[in-house]
Parts: sequence; C-alpha cells; structure tokens
Amino acid sequence: MARRVPAVHALRDRAIERGRSLRPRHRLSRPLVRLIAVVGFLGPGLIAANAGNDAGGIATYSAVGARYGFDLLWMMVVITVSLIVVQEMAARMGAVTGKGLAELIREQYGVRWSLFATTAVLIANLGICVSEFVGIGAALGLAGVPVQLSVPIAAMGLWLLVIRGSYKLAERVFVLMTIPFFAYPIAAILARPDWAAAGKAIVVPTIHTSTGYLLLFVATAGTTITPFMQLYVQSAVVERGVGVDQLNAERAEVVTGSIFANVVACFIIVATGATLYLHGHHDVGSAADAAKALEPFAGRYAELLFAVGLLGASLLAGAILPVTAAYVIAETFGFEKGISHRIREAPVFAGVITVLIVIGAAVALIPGLPVIGVLVGVQVVNGALLPILLVFIWRLSNTQELMGAYRNGHVFNVIAALTVLATSGLSITLLAVTVVAPLL
Amino acid sequence: MVSEAPAPVVVHLSLVIGGDLRDSGGGRLGRVDDVIVRLDAEYPPVSGLLASVASRQVFVPAEAVKEIRQDAVVLGASRLDLRPFERRAQEVLLKKDVLDRQLINVDGARLVRANEIELARLDGWYRVVGVDVGLRGMARRVLPRRLAGRVSLGAFLDWASVEPFTGHVPTVRLRVPHPKLARLHPAEIADLVEAASHREGEEIMRAVGSDGELEADVFEELDAQHLREFLEERSDEEVAEVLARMEPDDAADALGDLDEHRREPVARLLPPVQRRKVRALVGFDPATAGGLMSPEFICVYDTATCAEALDRVRRSVASPDTLAWVYVMSRNRRLRAGIQIVELLRAEPAADIIDVAGHVPRVSADVEVEELARLMTDYDLTVLPVVDDRDQLLGVVTVDDVLELVLPRGWRRRFDLLGGE
Repeated sequence: MARRVPAVHALRDRAIERGRSLRPRHRLSRPLVRLIAVVGFLGPGLIAANAGNDAGGIATYSAVGARYGFDLLWMMVVITVSLIVVQEMAARMGAVTGKGLAELIREQYGVRWSLFATTAVLIANLGICVSEFVGIGAALGLAGVPVQLSVPIAAMGLWLLVIRGSYKLAERVFVLMTIPFFAYPIAAILARPDWAAAGKAIVVPTIHTSTGYLLLFVATAGTTITPFMQLYVQSAVVERGVGVDQLNAERAEVVTGSIFANVVACFIIVATGATLYLHGHHDVGSAADAAKALEPFAGRYAELLFAVGLLGASLLAGAILPVTAAYVIAETFGFEKGISHRIREAPVFAGVITVLIVIGAAVALIPGLPVIGVLVGVQVVNGALLPILLVFIWRLSNTQELMGAYRNGHVFNVIAALTVLATSGLSITLLAVTVVAPLL
Repeated sequence: MVSEAPAPVVVHLSLVIGGDLRDSGGGRLGRVDDVIVRLDAEYPPVSGLLASVASRQVFVPAEAVKEIRQDAVVLGASRLDLRPFERRAQEVLLKKDVLDRQLINVDGARLVRANEIELARLDGWYRVVGVDVGLRGMARRVLPRRLAGRVSLGAFLDWASVEPFTGHVPTVRLRVPHPKLARLHPAEIADLVEAASHREGEEIMRAVGSDGELEADVFEELDAQHLREFLEERSDEEVAEVLARMEPDDAADALGDLDEHRREPVARLLPPVQRRKVRALVGFDPATAGGLMSPEFICVYDTATCAEALDRVRRSVASPDTLAWVYVMSRNRRLRAGIQIVELLRAEPAADIIDVAGHVPRVSADVEVEELARLMTDYDLTVLPVVDDRDQLLGVVTVDDVLELVLPRGWRRRFDLLGGE
C-alpha cells in the first residue's frame, strides 16, 4: 500500500508545478472580458485593412481632402461597407477551408488563372513595396534622418521580424504598428475643422460632375480595396489557425479592423480638407508632401503626427506586402509556407520575402526615383487583378463543395455580387483611365 | 523516391486531356475531358474516360480504349457506346480530383502539389505511375498545346510513395485507408496534419484512426491548437479512447485543452489507472477528494423504488466497496440522500427509496485527505460522495484509498520530526 504513495506525491508535485486546475479560474467582469477578448483577437482583419492605409493610401486621402474638402467623405461609408463584405468572404473562406485564396484558385480554376494571379501579385506587391520604403525614408526624413540610414535599418528590422519571429509575435507587432494611426485623428483635431460640416458631408453626398472628382473617387476605392488585402487576410486566418468555431470572432475582428482603417482615412481627409483645401493648396503629390503642407496651417505638431502615421503605415505595409506575395507563391506552387517557419523549413517562402524587401529597399534608395510612375504601374496591375480576384472570391465563397453550410446566404450573396460588380467596375475604370489618359 | 522514367512510354495527363478521342480507324470522335482511375492498386489503373462527343459528355469504359497516346486516345471499337457516367467506389477523376491538389509525399513526409500526372502502360494496362511536382509539369500546363508537347519529361515522384487526399471525392470518402501513411513516424504524420488544411488533416487523422496506438502517438506529437481541433470533433468516448493510449502527461495536457464541461465526462471514461494519473496531472491534487474519487457509483432518481435501486446494484459491475451506498438525486441531478446497501435490502421493495434514505455528508473535490479521514471517522462512513458546485455527484471516495494516503503520510511526518529522510 505504501509503495504507491511516493508516486502519488511526485504526481502531486508535478501538478502544482504545472499550476493547472480543473476548477474554473477567477472570473473577470463580463464587459472587461469581452473587451480583452476583442483586443486579444485583433489580427488579420485589422492588419490587412490598415496595411491599405499605406503611403499611397495616405497620399490619395490627403489629395481627396486637399482637392475637394469634405465633399468625398460620404464615399468612405460606401467603401467601408464594400471592404467589409469582401474581407469577410476571404476570412470566412480561410476559416472554413483552411486554405489560402491562391490555393483555392489553383484547385478550382486551374493553373493558368493561378499563375496569372501570382504574377500580378508579385509585380504589384513589389511596386507597392518600393513605395512603402520610400514612405519610410520620407517619414523619417521629416525628422532629419537620412534615407541611407533609415531605409536599410527598417528593411533589416522588418526582415528579422517576419523571417525569424513566430506568427504570434509578428501578428502582435503588426497590431501594434496600427497605433501610430491614432496620429491622424489628433492631427485632424489640431486642424480645427468644422465638425458639423464634416459630419454632414459623411451622411449627405456631394456630387461633382468633373472628371477630377470621378478620378479621385475611383482612385480612393482602388487604394482602399486592394488585392493584397484579401489574399493576406485569408492566408493569415489560415496560419493563425482560426477554425469555424472562432468564425464569429474573426468576423467581428474583420469588421472592426475595416471600420478602424476607414475611420482613420476619414480623419486624414478631414485634416487636409480643413487646412489645405480651405487655403487653396489643392495639389498633394505624396504623403510626405501632405505632412509638409500641413505645417503652416495646423502647426508643427500636425506635420509631425502625419509623419508618425506615415512611418507606422509604411512599416506595416512594408512587412505585409512581401509576406502576402510569399503566401501566394507558396500556395500556388505548393511550397511550405508560414511566418512561423524557419528559413530551412520554408526556403521559398522566406526567399520571396527577402527578395521583395531587398529590392523594395534598394530601389527606394535610388535618388530621383519616379515614385509616381511606379505607383501608376502598380495601379494598372492591381486594376486588372482586382476584378478577377473578386469574382473568384465571390464564386468560391458560394461553392457548396468548399463552404458547405458556411457559403454565402441568399441576401448576403446579392450584396456581395453588387459589391463585386461595383468595385470591379471602378477598378476597370481606373485601369482604363490610367492606361488611356496619358495617351490623350 | 525520385526516379527516372521507367522503360514504358510515359504519357502526360495534361496532354491527354483536351486531346482527341479517335476511333480505331483514326477518325475524330470528340475530346477527352478527364481520366478515371481506381485507387485500389499500387499503381492505379485507368478505368475509363470522360469525353465530349458532339457536345455531350460521355463515359468511355476502359475496355473500349485501345491506346492512350500523347496526342490522342484511340478506341478499339469503331462504334462508341454512349453511357452516362456514374462514379463507382474508389474511382477518382484525375483532373478534377487529383491534379492541382495536395498529395502526401510519403518518402519526404511532405505535402506536395500535383502539377502533372504521369501515366504509363504497366502490367498490361495504363496506370498512374507518378506525379510531377516540378516546374516542367507546370510549364506544360501553361503553354499552348503545341509547345507543351515539347516540354520533355522531368524527374517525377513515384506513385508508390504518394498518397492523394480523397476527402473531397464523394465515392472515396474515408474508404481509402491510406496504408502508406503507416510508413511514417508519428511525429512526421503530426507535421503533415499541422501543415495541411483542417479537412485534409482530419482525413489523415481518420486514416491513422484505424490503428489506435498510432493515432495516440500522432496525438501526442500534435501542437496544442491542432490537438484541440481534432479532439473537439470527437465524442467523449472517442476522446477517452485516444487519451487512454497516450502518455499520462500528454493525456493530461490534452484533457486540459478540452472545453471545461467535457473534461470531467471524458476523465470518467478513462480506465482507472490512467484516470488517476491524468487527474493528478490535470490539477486534481491526488491527496484531495477529486484526486481520490472513483466515478463508479450508483445514483438513482428520487422517484425510484427500493426494488429498482437494488436491481441497478445487481446489474452493476462496479467494485463492491464503492457500492456500499446507493445515492438518490433529484430530477435536476442534485444529490439528495443516500442509503446503505444493507438498509436497502431490509427495506420494503415497493417503498420509494427517498422515504427510506437519509441525509449524507458530501464534500467538494478540493477537500484534503485529512478532512476526508476526519469526516469518515465522525460519520462512520466507508464511502463519501464528492459533488461539484451544483451539488451533482462527481464520484465517491472509498475509505481504503483514504487510509492508504493518511497512514504513510503520518509515518513520513514522524520521520521528519526525527530528522529522518
């Protein structure tokens, strides 16, 4: 009888060591638990949507504010709804199928389509990646840091994070990188806008018939809903290991993230609309331009805040774009993938990230680089890719074989179809304008 | 195993599909849409074709096929028997079900994607001999037909070391036992499950499920997240079966990963030895009521008669010492009363058990062994019921288990006082 006892005591010691218990832990108050749960669950949806507020996005939103004041604010509501619809479909597919979008396209539509998508994503992401490193250089340039120093250090840091870090760590850092976006609401407050007018502009559309207005409308839609966002959100949901049991939490996260990203965009429009527009400074070329232009009207702090926002945005997108390209290539060709993998475990995945970061940073260091030219090229590629990708997303998320009970509901399906149609239409318009306009 | 082309001519699936369907005289009948194979052989034989003839889809049985060539499939008969296609067991469509999808490369213990499928005449008939996962296979698919034919054969994976996922194929679901998986180390299988999508991972887990030991080994190697996913889908009985075969500390981890409301039911289904170890590890201190209790007890509803209760005792296979008492619970399963087995025997069989049973002391799972000993002494009990926070019976502690712990601990203390150990 006594023989068993030491064993039992050993077990008891181990139990204490583990500190585990079947008994329920101390309960926190319910709203607090819910808040912690939401914040703790922030991830792919927030990251994807906010990576869209990158250097190019900030430039576009600043231009919208500078050119038309608050007149285009109403459009952000429409675009937010569209973004949510599209991102939700992608995230849901990731959770239900456990596969990335590129993987599903390959399996359902064959190798040609997936190769087209992969090539387009690779080119577009490389182009945007360059603009992010330019953004990093410009943001830190406003603080007096030379580009030759800031860009290589940022590139090295981002590379280490996504190559050496685990998915969890990288995701946490990405979520933290959205904090600088709070600079924009503060900058908007510093700009002392007419809040009533801004509020009214969000609800009541003001429509101009000029070509410039239409162009900016289309450009804004294009920068807010970009192919890499859907690709990233789906692949990241897969790597995060979200299953159908966490689908509702993931959906909430996608919606929250999309709304947050576009509220930030609204504040950028308000900040520039209340200053640059009112003072007749209608032309904004880049995000750094906007920051500099703000200074005389909203003060040195507004400029600084814009720079901080730009830095955060560029860093976030500078990491997400290479990662998305790597996901897509690994999924299309069937290589090992994942931020959590070591270089040895997923050499192609790590290789694609490395190549994009290195080329992105190196090209950004070329003096007198025609950034606008690069972005126009990217716009063409993305404009061609987005409609195709959206149709795939819409059809795939409606496939019984893949989605079963989680396929689009009837009403949602109609909304999704309209969204896909409208967004694709805008995208094709943008494509046509970008290609045709210089010829005229 | 990467091997060079075997002696027979290798035909690329991507060229066969989309190629001509010809009669024995060489006349064009239509276009080949897909190739059907049966998965029950080491090298799956072609069992038929799907073809478009006069814009209708037809099934061409293997018997009608004379030759499968790169440029065309030639039929033996001059007339085509137009039969509608129905999937038979173990049949897959190579293009629809295998091409572009993931496969398990058993030799490398990796997931690969089928860029091209290679067919060859082997043992008298056309069979799948391998898959190309390299760039050549992909190039052939992307290029126009005329150029594609010029892409030469590259190294490809021998089908003998490849296992396709068939979960998406209605007729093959769960019927293919994936025998090749057994060649892998459990840790390798776990890696595959983690790398695959959930559905494919589930397919692997189901396949290893036919070998209980292997399944438990794979579960031990899975990371916490996947472990949880796969356990959640299984019933309490299935989970207990897996846990029973796992190492106690892995089983304890797995139990801890389960939803809180499932832990106790699963723990109860474990064999006694494993249960005790797991309970101790999962946090029930082995020197408390929770760690000592046995789930074998009889508890009847308060509407039962004495005869009914005795009948339950008679049919029970539980050990006699735990059955010294029979417990009575209310309709919402709260413990109401208890009666000694001897008193139950003496009572009128037709009497309601609740009228003859009396109040029993009860303890929660965290009560220490010394307190258990004291209660048992005070109330003269050989069995003490353990209840949860809703007063529902979790198990019973028997006096022998308590003694076993109390006595030696006393001995140890004495040694301590004497400066021993």
